[in-house]
Amino acid sequence: MPLSNLNKHTAKGQQEHTNHRKRRHSSENHSPTSKRRRDILEEMTDSQKRANFSALTSPSNGLTRHASPLVNNKPGAAKKLVIKNFKEKPKLPDNYQQETWEKLQGAVEAIHTSHSIQASLEELYQAVENMCSHKMSATLYDQLKQSCEKHVKSNISQFLGYPFLCFVMFLKCMDNCWQAHCRQMIMIRSIFLFLDRTYVLQNSSVMSIWDMGLDLFRSHIVGHILVQARTVDGLLQFIERERNGEAVDRQLLKSLLRMLSDLQIYQDAFERKFLDATDSLYAAEGQRLMQERDVPEYLAHVDKRLNEESERLLHYLDQSTRKPLVTCVEKQLLEQHLGQILQKGLDQLLNENRISDLTLLYQLFSKVKDGMRELGLAFALYIKNTGRLIVINVDNDAEKDKDMVQNLLDFKDKIDNIISVCFGRNEKFINGMKESFENFINQRQNKPAELIAKYVDSKLRAGNKEATEEELERLLDKIMVLFRFIHGKDVFEAFYKKDLAKRLLVGKSASVDAEKSMLSKLKQECGAAFTSKLEGMFKDMELSKDIMFAFRQHMQNMTAPGGVDLTVNILTMGYWPTYHPMAVHLPTEMVDYQEIFKKFYLGKHSGRKLQWQPTLGHCVLKVEFAAMKKELHVSLFQTLCLVLFNDGHEFTFEEIKQATAIEVEELRRTLQSLACGKARVLIKHPKGKDIEDGDKFIFNEDFKHKLFRIKINQIQMKETQDENTSTTERVFQDRQYQVDAAIVLKQLKSVYQIMKTRKSLTHNLLISELYNQLKFPVKPADLKKRIESLIDRDYMERDKDNAIQYHYVA
Amino acid sequence: MADDMEVEAEREGCGYQKNDKMFTLKKWNLVAMWSWDVECDTCAICRVQVMDACLRCQAENKQDDCVVVWGECNHSFHNCCMTLWVKQNNRCPLCQQDWVVQRIGK
Repeated sequence: MPLSNLNKHTAKGQQEHTNHRKRRHSSENHSPTSKRRRDILEEMTDSQKRANFSALTSPSNGLTRHASPLVNNKPGAAKKLVIKNFKEKPKLPDNYQQETWEKLQGAVEAIHTSHSIQASLEELYQAVENMCSHKMSATLYDQLKQSCEKHVKSNISQFLGYPFLCFVMFLKCMDNCWQAHCRQMIMIRSIFLFLDRTYVLQNSSVMSIWDMGLDLFRSHIVGHILVQARTVDGLLQFIERERNGEAVDRQLLKSLLRMLSDLQIYQDAFERKFLDATDSLYAAEGQRLMQERDVPEYLAHVDKRLNEESERLLHYLDQSTRKPLVTCVEKQLLEQHLGQILQKGLDQLLNENRISDLTLLYQLFSKVKDGMRELGLAFALYIKNTGRLIVINVDNDAEKDKDMVQNLLDFKDKIDNIISVCFGRNEKFINGMKESFENFINQRQNKPAELIAKYVDSKLRAGNKEATEEELERLLDKIMVLFRFIHGKDVFEAFYKKDLAKRLLVGKSASVDAEKSMLSKLKQECGAAFTSKLEGMFKDMELSKDIMFAFRQHMQNMTAPGGVDLTVNILTMGYWPTYHPMAVHLPTEMVDYQEIFKKFYLGKHSGRKLQWQPTLGHCVLKVEFAAMKKELHVSLFQTLCLVLFNDGHEFTFEEIKQATAIEVEELRRTLQSLACGKARVLIKHPKGKDIEDGDKFIFNEDFKHKLFRIKINQIQMKETQDENTSTTERVFQDRQYQVDAAIVLKQLKSVYQIMKTRKSLTHNLLISELYNQLKFPVKPADLKKRIESLIDRDYMERDKDNAIQYHYVA
Repeated sequence: MADDMEVEAEREGCGYQKNDKMFTLKKWNLVAMWSWDVECDTCAICRVQVMDACLRCQAENKQDDCVVVWGECNHSFHNCCMTLWVKQNNRCPLCQQDWVVQRIGK
């Protein structure tokens, strides 16, 4: 009830008691109404005041007496109006205090019993104000407190009276009682507001009326052990029911929990028990559900529980409970089971690429202590294990190796996607992933590097039309990521170079742009030294074109033997892979042509020598079959075999070997491609897939094929086992050479350092010091060499008289 | 020009060779590896293989200009290494004969 309203009521009801107060009151109120003016006039008729204003009893006299000087005399003679104090203080009736209190008590009781109040609220407020003004505040406060206490005490009976009241009813009853108490206290406070604003404020030891009410309620109702226990138990039962999925009266819960908060016993009486109950509930639930449910279901359940609890916080729990409650749930449902969840479910989730479940897993784990760390470790372990399965191939099964790189790329894509979608691109996870990839991919020596190189080759080869340029570019980028993990980059380089050579020389490169792009990526990754030789290969191809242009101009003035269109690629030794030198027998016209070119080339480049590489040569042959003409794209070796049939009908394996001088295994492959492949230009006797000694070959005159140009030189692009082994071996040789070089350097350094510190040593002492310093096994002969080498370079010298004594040379 | 040759080859194929030759070579793609025609493949002055550029040229990225020089004694070195060498000592580092350039590679 607003204060001004109360004032008005009081002023109206209490005129007869305190006139002087009334005047003060009206002066306070600066907007006097007509009614108030009438009040003042009424006051003037009061007997108490009549004595002071006796002059007014004869109004006509006074008026004339007063009027004449005003009219006739000087203004200075005007009579002053003097207001004097009361001669004696107005006194309260003796029984005033008791009467007033009785009236107030009546009102309080009416409030307590929900009856209508007899007196007006304004009057009651005024009464309080008056009592306070007459120093009765303390008594009034005590009386009020007693009255309230009596009422509150009387309320306890309803909670004790029905011991078997069901807890729902009990709680409702409690709520009603509380609500009534609050309502009543608000009303009482309104009436006793003046007391609250003066006496209470001036005495810090006294509680405000509201707090007094709370205190009474706390100590007499909720403070009762039995009542409190029943209330809290009831609340906990309510919450448990809700946790079990029943709908409960949240309003009631909210109201009662607010009550506990207001009474400041929320934490002591309720929260602790509530958290204990929560703890044991979820501990049990966690244990049970971890057994019963699979991980995704369990995680969904945990998520649901967390949401429910935060809804509970939103709807009725005190906000201060949020942290302990959430921690409790997370601890019991997650933290206790971190290991088990990861062990039981992570691999499955990752295998099945269950994005949403993994996202949830990450979100939940990020909430608990150690969750991120555990998840990160388990994730890294999964990558290592899964990756190892892709990479390791105990039986060296070629079929499995064929798909390794594609599988690795797919696996990487999948993991990348999971990290970016589910794991929020967490830096730690990305690093863990990188480490894991590096770990497993190097678990198998050399082969992954080789296969990556071959995979790139397959993508850069002509005829690979499955990808657009952009796709190819993206793919190469992905491959570079895998390449980065590889330790044995030299193995990659060797195989890449070998394949690049074939692509360039046999003219099978799909796109110069893609080749250059790959080259620049490698350069970026490994530096210019790594790619300088690869770049040299491209340069050789360019230079060869220029040379061929010059050669053709040169040939215009001569008659070309056989009218053959000759193209020569001149390779710089050292840039290209090394090939087995192989001398084969060429037909005379070819040898002549070759010599013409050689003469031309060496004439232009003095001081050089040329070595022919027949393995890489390839030709186009025109063939006259019985039915039609064809053009065959064949390797040089195939050409050599076929042109033999210009001079004879049938040849044995040995005859061909003799005539061509092609190495046996190479010849077998060559003949197999001609007589046992898809396009059979030769017929073999006896029939069979493999070429045996003594097999006979005849020209297949009835050869038929739907195309005019037929390519049968694919065998050149294929890698033989021999080639593979020699490529790998060469890498190992180079490595050994590098290791040797490093060892030599280290040994030299050691000798030098020892001599520098000791200045002078005998041979034996120097050797024993070296053994101490060099951790790996050394041959004494090697050390002698290092010493000699340093003496040669004038870093140390032998003693002139004693050959086994050395001196350091500054 | 290439077309001319093909026409020529065509004519020959259809001409006198038709009956006795089933296979006729039309195009030939030949591969050759070149290297310096040297007796010792390491430059005695800088200890780098002559097929690679000397260290100075490698550092200055002038690999293409780093050629080989032969003396009358038939010993060979990087041309740039030898140019520096003869400023101090006009003899072949290997045989101590007076250094006379026989030829320079290109």
